[in-house]
Amino acid sequence: MASGVDSTVGGLNGVMARAPWRAGSIFLLAILGLSLLGIGIQAASDPTLFAQITLNGLTLAGLYFIVASGFTLIFGLMRVVNMAHGSFYMLGGIIAYLVQERMLNPDPTSFALPEATVTSFVVPLVVSMLSIALLGVVIQQVFLRWNQGQELRQALITIAISIIIADQAVAHFGGIAKEISVPVRKSIELPIVGMFGTMRLVMLLVAILVGVGLLLIISRTRFGMIVRAGVDDRHMVSALGVNIQRVFAAAFFLGALLAGLAGVLGGAVNSVNKSDDGKFLLISLVIVIVGGMGSLTGAAVGAVLLGLIDSYSDVYLPDAVTNYGVLLTFFLLVFVLAVRPYGLFGRAA
Amino acid sequence: MIPARLHWPIGAVVVVVAALLPIVMSDFTVSQILTRSLILGIAAASLIFLASLGGWVSLAQIGLYGVAGFAVGNLAQADGGVKVFAMDMWLAALLAIIVTVVIGLIIGVVASRSEGIYFLMITLAFGVIIRLLFEKATDLSGFGGINQIIQPEVLGSAQLQPERIYWVCLVISVLVYLGVRYFARTPFGLAFQGIRDNAARMKALGYNVTLIRTIAFGIGAFVAALAGVLNVWWNTQISPGTIDIRPVIFLLMIAIIGGLYRIEGAWVGALIYVILDNRLRSIDLVGERVATALGIIFLLIVLLSPGGVMGILESLSSRWRRSDEPDQPAGDGDGTAAAVVAGD
Amino acid sequence: MNVRDKRWGWLSAGLLIIIIGIVAAACGGSDSSSSSAADTAAADTAAADTAAAAGEKKIVMGFLSNCEGPFGPFWDATLAGYYTALVQFAGATPVDPADPKAGVTGAMVPGTDVAIELNTNYGCSDDKADKALSEAKRLVEQEGVNILIGPLSGDEGIAVANYAKTQPDVTFLNGISGAQDTTLKVQAPNFFRFFSDGAQWTAGLGAYAYNVLGWRNAVTIGDDYSFPYTQTAGFVSEFCSLGGKIDERIWPALGETDYSSYIAKLPDNVDGFFLDVGGTGTVQFVNQFTEVNGNDSLQGKVMGGAFISNPAIIKELGAKVEGVVAGSALPSDATDANWTAYSDAIKAAYPEMVGNAANIFLAGYYNNAQAAILGLQAVGGNIDDAAAFQAALAGVEIATGVGPVTVDANRNAVGPNYVVEVNAMGTKTLFTVEGVDQSFGGAFSADTPNPDRDNPECVAGNPPPWAASITK
Repeated sequence: MASGVDSTVGGLNGVMARAPWRAGSIFLLAILGLSLLGIGIQAASDPTLFAQITLNGLTLAGLYFIVASGFTLIFGLMRVVNMAHGSFYMLGGIIAYLVQERMLNPDPTSFALPEATVTSFVVPLVVSMLSIALLGVVIQQVFLRWNQGQELRQALITIAISIIIADQAVAHFGGIAKEISVPVRKSIELPIVGMFGTMRLVMLLVAILVGVGLLLIISRTRFGMIVRAGVDDRHMVSALGVNIQRVFAAAFFLGALLAGLAGVLGGAVNSVNKSDDGKFLLISLVIVIVGGMGSLTGAAVGAVLLGLIDSYSDVYLPDAVTNYGVLLTFFLLVFVLAVRPYGLFGRAA
Repeated sequence: MIPARLHWPIGAVVVVVAALLPIVMSDFTVSQILTRSLILGIAAASLIFLASLGGWVSLAQIGLYGVAGFAVGNLAQADGGVKVFAMDMWLAALLAIIVTVVIGLIIGVVASRSEGIYFLMITLAFGVIIRLLFEKATDLSGFGGINQIIQPEVLGSAQLQPERIYWVCLVISVLVYLGVRYFARTPFGLAFQGIRDNAARMKALGYNVTLIRTIAFGIGAFVAALAGVLNVWWNTQISPGTIDIRPVIFLLMIAIIGGLYRIEGAWVGALIYVILDNRLRSIDLVGERVATALGIIFLLIVLLSPGGVMGILESLSSRWRRSDEPDQPAGDGDGTAAAVVAGD
Repeated sequence: MNVRDKRWGWLSAGLLIIIIGIVAAACGGSDSSSSSAADTAAADTAAADTAAAAGEKKIVMGFLSNCEGPFGPFWDATLAGYYTALVQFAGATPVDPADPKAGVTGAMVPGTDVAIELNTNYGCSDDKADKALSEAKRLVEQEGVNILIGPLSGDEGIAVANYAKTQPDVTFLNGISGAQDTTLKVQAPNFFRFFSDGAQWTAGLGAYAYNVLGWRNAVTIGDDYSFPYTQTAGFVSEFCSLGGKIDERIWPALGETDYSSYIAKLPDNVDGFFLDVGGTGTVQFVNQFTEVNGNDSLQGKVMGGAFISNPAIIKELGAKVEGVVAGSALPSDATDANWTAYSDAIKAAYPEMVGNAANIFLAGYYNNAQAAILGLQAVGGNIDDAAAFQAALAGVEIATGVGPVTVDANRNAVGPNYVVEVNAMGTKTLFTVEGVDQSFGGAFSADTPNPDRDNPECVAGNPPPWAASITK
């Protein structure tokens, strides 16, 4: 029977040889080159616009990175694809908004919203981050701890949780997007760029701090050492007698905490919106697939790529095809997966 | 579970009874419960096909189903589609299936290099991107969705003659079922299952693993496309919401209810899901929070029974039967995909 | 673990039994409730011979809105609008004034003793056309509804209106879906809309921009989907008919949450912007716009559609939108008898909803449910002849709430619209535009292209009849 298969399938072997891949890569590289050229020309014609858009893209990438770093941390260590990660993001914003609303206690008859003070921003931020982190640990302990290694099943469990959270958010959180108010001036004047949102810059700064902090944790602490070892070889780590369960719980705590943080920042810069869960799950997935699962550097590179694609395609694509901008994300995925099936910085499991 | 010699007679009885149902059931039940179950069943079959034989759980199937639906809407005469083609419905359906298979092959070629959970994530990303594309590219999806998609004349009107489209869906369901069973026994199908069990060994034996997988993914896309075309014939409209993340998750739920490793589970799961969706609302406690209730049921099933309903039936009957039957015929993919769910 | 593990087999069998039990209970439950409803109706009929004489067909009214998806949070408001009309006009009593979901009892066709049976297996969609369609089918074909109020959003409306054509014996009244096509193009003889469409909600704005603000050229920005196309169409058509020019129409993709790049590329050399970024996007857009252009940058420079005049959004944006002029289907600051009667009715039926009088979702369902009751009154509660009932409905005039409203030959509302200014109290009505019809004085018809990214074209001449009345 095997020989029969050989004659039907084996004969087609040549079709999938290197040549078409290479041709495809060249084609995609050519598209990339052309679009860079196009952006270059546009940039030269209006440098202020270009600077603004680039900074927009980078600040957006900051937000993406904070979300995706939590996702990739959990995945890298535990092989858990947390499909509820987008829900964590959304809930983070909602909780912070609700806490802040209570603290500011706006007068229902008055028009103007009270301005947030440092306290009335930081307290909701911390409360929200900790609640989400706790929620993450509870989900991990109750639903995921006992089926370690059953990757698909764990993903399905988190999918089910995300459906429930999304529906409950619709039931209990209003339909209008809400804004978390911040204790800083709305915008500042930057050279070349002009007026630019302060919170967006703060968001980028926080993202950089998160990145540096995670790198330090991973390279300097015992926890980080275990995480690094776990990404390379989970079985060996547990065989060495490390209390891997505690590390797993800590990783889930940190990953969910980051999703909550991103939710609050996103809620302050854009808005708190109950349909953000799917969007940020997709963003996390794409970033982590492109960057490589479990890689922090990969998450940063993926976030910057996605952020820049988002903001350039909004402005630089010809009007007729603006709406096809999402295809760029599609091509990015196809291209990266074709060249590196495990992502730019990923390795086979 | 059931002795092998009884498979054919039982199957035939089920199909005959199903074919006669429109005589006793109301138009509403035929159209909104039975036909809908069959169409979702075919879509779920495309997922279970890949899961049982390939060990892959694909979340791109609803996306592909949507590609076929939108392609029909744009190629044939419909309100909101690109009207320039205005093709004959059969030609439009054929081309729509071809387009879907081509896109399926493109996704397959990159996705087939990955496995397990990576495959799930990658196909989910592609599925969502397809939805975003149709949501944003209103040239292709109409400004209010594509409406009044005309059915082939022989089907009459889905509204007035719901039994006709039902029978078509039934015939296609039977063909898909038999086709998948047959495929599993062909040399190609066996090679595909061999790759699921041990890709490295198959590679060493000289098989082109990527090619076989890509083609299998294309076959999955073909089955999803059939469901997509039937869906727009039945529903006469499609909008980007049709392929939102929710339907993606609920199709997965159907496949899980049915058990990821038995192709007939697709229709069992679809029927259970459709009835739940139709009936849960009438329970006071649930009310308008049907999605929460479905989420909880989904969660319980995944927590308690990775084999789904078919797994439950099987484990029950294996208790009663003990071991007087040899195991399932070879090539059935029995149990292996459940192992995918249950982990290694 | 292994699926063949006996322990799990039994557990899951138990689960399966529970699920089947729930479903069976649900089927049984709904059967018993419908049969008890039938019993009650039978008892009523037996008690009152006149009712039996009035009509053989029982009146079953159904409700279709969104309880999931982006508009899910407006579920209670739409229910409150629907039931408030039944309380006010059909003499019903709320079961629980704190919870519209609980329904009402004792609804009768006014002036008769014919009962209106209210189906409480509500249709619940999620802003998706196919969900609305399947829910409409469930209500009509399974629940036996013969008057359906709904749906909520544009695409849903088009799908349901198309479906209405296949069910001539059922009468459909729109909820609050605003697509022009629903009535202008589909023209189902049994689909009525007693609340204006999305384009009508911007009537008067083009004239205000041209005549009062003195704009000569403008740029429109709106989400890239049918509702903003429709709203923008109203503005563009009117503004251009007076001689205004549209320099550019910008359509950020739907679902965008970061508008900063679009804002960066807005041109400087225009007189103003018509802003119709909506749903959840309004808050983001305005915040990001003021980030770049300063806090008071919107006044005089930006006009908006129904999104900006929405009280909930005004509350969210506060001082940033103060002074912005927008179109609105509702005069939230009105003090006339019609409006007072309407807001008093809400207060009487659902005290907690009283702040929602200017909520368009509530008002739309209220108007259409009210029309249904008045139509039933006109035929004395006899709907045996659906065509006669529909003919009577076509002659109904609504007074309270947003009124007076009648319907045109396509069964679409003809009524007032308001040019409002956002202020600390919510909105202040600047102009009341009377008798706004769907066609804008002939600019839109069944033969004109659907509103989309480039349509309607910007053409001078033939301004709508109300344009001349809006001056400084």
